[in-house]
Amino acid sequence: MSEKHQRSYGLQAPPSLGVKGKKRYGMIMDLRKCTGGGACTMACKEEFGVPLGVTRMWMKEENRGTYPNTSKVVMPATCNQCDYPICVRNCPTGATYKHPDGFVLQRYNTCIGCRTCAIACPYNARHFLPQHRSNPDQPTQVVDKCSFCIHRVTRGQQPACVEACTARAIIFGDLNDPESEISKVLAKERVTVLRPEMGTSPQVYYIGLEQGGVADPISCYSDRSDQMKSEFDDYKRNHPGLQFGDILESETSPLKFSGQIVGHMKDFIVDIFVKLGIVKH
Amino acid sequence: MKMVNFATDFLCYALKGGSKFYTWLLFLGFFIMIWAYGNYTQISQGMIVTGLNDQVSWGLYMSNFVFLVGVAAAAVTIVFPAYVYNYKPLKDVVIIGEMLAISAVIMCILFVLSHMGRPDRLWHIMPVIGILNWPNSMLTWDVIVLNVYLGLNVVCGFYYMYKKYTGEPVNKVFYMTLVYVSIVWALSIHTVTGFLLNTMPTRPMWFHSMVPIKFIVTAFSAGPAFIILAFFIIRKNTKLEIKDEAINMLSTIITFCLSISLFLTLCEIVTELYPSTEHSFSLKYLLFGKHGLSGLVGFFWASLAMNIIAFILLINPRTRKNHAILPYTCAILFVGIWIEKGMAFVLPGMTPSPIGEFAEYTPSWIEIGNSLGAWAIGLAIFTILAKGAIGIQLGDVKYSEVKGEQYEK
Repeated sequence: MSEKHQRSYGLQAPPSLGVKGKKRYGMIMDLRKCTGGGACTMACKEEFGVPLGVTRMWMKEENRGTYPNTSKVVMPATCNQCDYPICVRNCPTGATYKHPDGFVLQRYNTCIGCRTCAIACPYNARHFLPQHRSNPDQPTQVVDKCSFCIHRVTRGQQPACVEACTARAIIFGDLNDPESEISKVLAKERVTVLRPEMGTSPQVYYIGLEQGGVADPISCYSDRSDQMKSEFDDYKRNHPGLQFGDILESETSPLKFSGQIVGHMKDFIVDIFVKLGIVKH
Repeated sequence: MKMVNFATDFLCYALKGGSKFYTWLLFLGFFIMIWAYGNYTQISQGMIVTGLNDQVSWGLYMSNFVFLVGVAAAAVTIVFPAYVYNYKPLKDVVIIGEMLAISAVIMCILFVLSHMGRPDRLWHIMPVIGILNWPNSMLTWDVIVLNVYLGLNVVCGFYYMYKKYTGEPVNKVFYMTLVYVSIVWALSIHTVTGFLLNTMPTRPMWFHSMVPIKFIVTAFSAGPAFIILAFFIIRKNTKLEIKDEAINMLSTIITFCLSISLFLTLCEIVTELYPSTEHSFSLKYLLFGKHGLSGLVGFFWASLAMNIIAFILLINPRTRKNHAILPYTCAILFVGIWIEKGMAFVLPGMTPSPIGEFAEYTPSWIEIGNSLGAWAIGLAIFTILAKGAIGIQLGDVKYSEVKGEQYEK
């Protein structure tokens, strides 16, 4: 099977780590320098127009102690661009695939939105795009993920999060090139990866990540979901068409309520006729 | 020409009925309207109208899908004794089991369609015409085995009915080959659905080699329970004779499978809770709740109680063979297993998320409406198919050279 064929059918490209003449991009997050300011997450949202309620890159936080003796542990997290990605193996249409240079990417035009990859990912790095986007050309109703900013990297730039980091805590580069900064740091420092027991060989390395700390699902109870839920509610408030579920919960008189349902039904039927071209608006 | 006659006669018989029949279809039609509206809203507004999020991204739809695969597979509990052991009382009603399998697989497809973010791209996961990531993805295996199972049941069921309709003898070699293939295939569909969930190391609760066997035994108790309920309704409302032995055979199968299922539940609880590792987190959340979140606790204990009550009623031969109690036992069991597959297996697998986030999921009204509607469509299809099949089994629908003879009767 040729490489092109392999890629187009979503089979895994062979891992390129340590292969001569090939590139393998990776990332180091230096938690000793990270201030938890979240510039990386904001830059990421800005770069891709990531909608409310979902994240490509996020900051995992843990509050410790009681006032006045408190501290906060932070950890930026994103897709780990694994060498053996479980998501790629599980995708039923090959919409997510491995680039020979090590990126794990998503094809928006073949994704069917079944979210099997989101279930399979050990880092919960995948999110689902909503129907309404600020830019109508952007993909909708499919799964999306961090792409290591392949559009910037192929032009010789650094990923958006790396450039935005105020503390220079994120290092990005070619792991196969011994002269690159990332290779030098990797050779010198003690690094860890997230959930190595999953057998995915992740290529985002952490410096200063403590065992059983913020990265550990057992000891850490963090909540991105609370923040995401409030963002979801904002999103719903901005799109009044979504309120069907809320009608049932709100306190309206039965008459008004059934009137609303009939109104919805009418819109539904009219919309079908309009789409079929029988009726014009 | 005979084929066309068969189709028209079958449909004419199946769609004609008394006031009870039409009331039932109208009742289902109400939910089908809700289904149409709910799906329209979901397609035009996106998955945001559901209660799903990135932490819990498989919800009510997938739970129902997993359960219904089991119901479809359970047709084998009729086919196997009927053909392998030549058990006469079940042989007369084997066609009902095949019709149930067809409607259950159609319901599965409807649930998958609702679950998909882009149902317009369904053809991507169709074999041959699509871009299947086969053999890597477990989901593609599931698609293939389910579609083939649907095809097998359609061919088996309608071939048998067509031959009965025309009065010709059945081609034994062709028919029996298909029957044996479909028996093995029924086991495979639920095994593969089990593999779909338990090959994900990310979700410790699902990552358990016990899952396929538990799926099969729960399916073989919930499916026959539904079939027994259908038998009671058929016996009351049509002339088709369903022998007591047939029902007793099915309830015996349920008893065996339910006892294994309860035993496996016990095994799971002991294995996961005795050592307290990361793997037991989902189960602890399910059993007792965690961090103040306890949405699924009630469901789990309710399902366990239902299963145990049904088991006590079934293990005792006097209550098992008492056909005044049996329908209630079956209804309790059916609901109990439905909760166990969905709320007590699929949903808690996603809490906590692999990076330790506890997010609770509540289905939205749109999701509930769509699920009820998909059930209504499946039940309507089952009603119509089973009614036609009964007509053929009774000999009411028969091929005759003289046109219009049947209508004069």
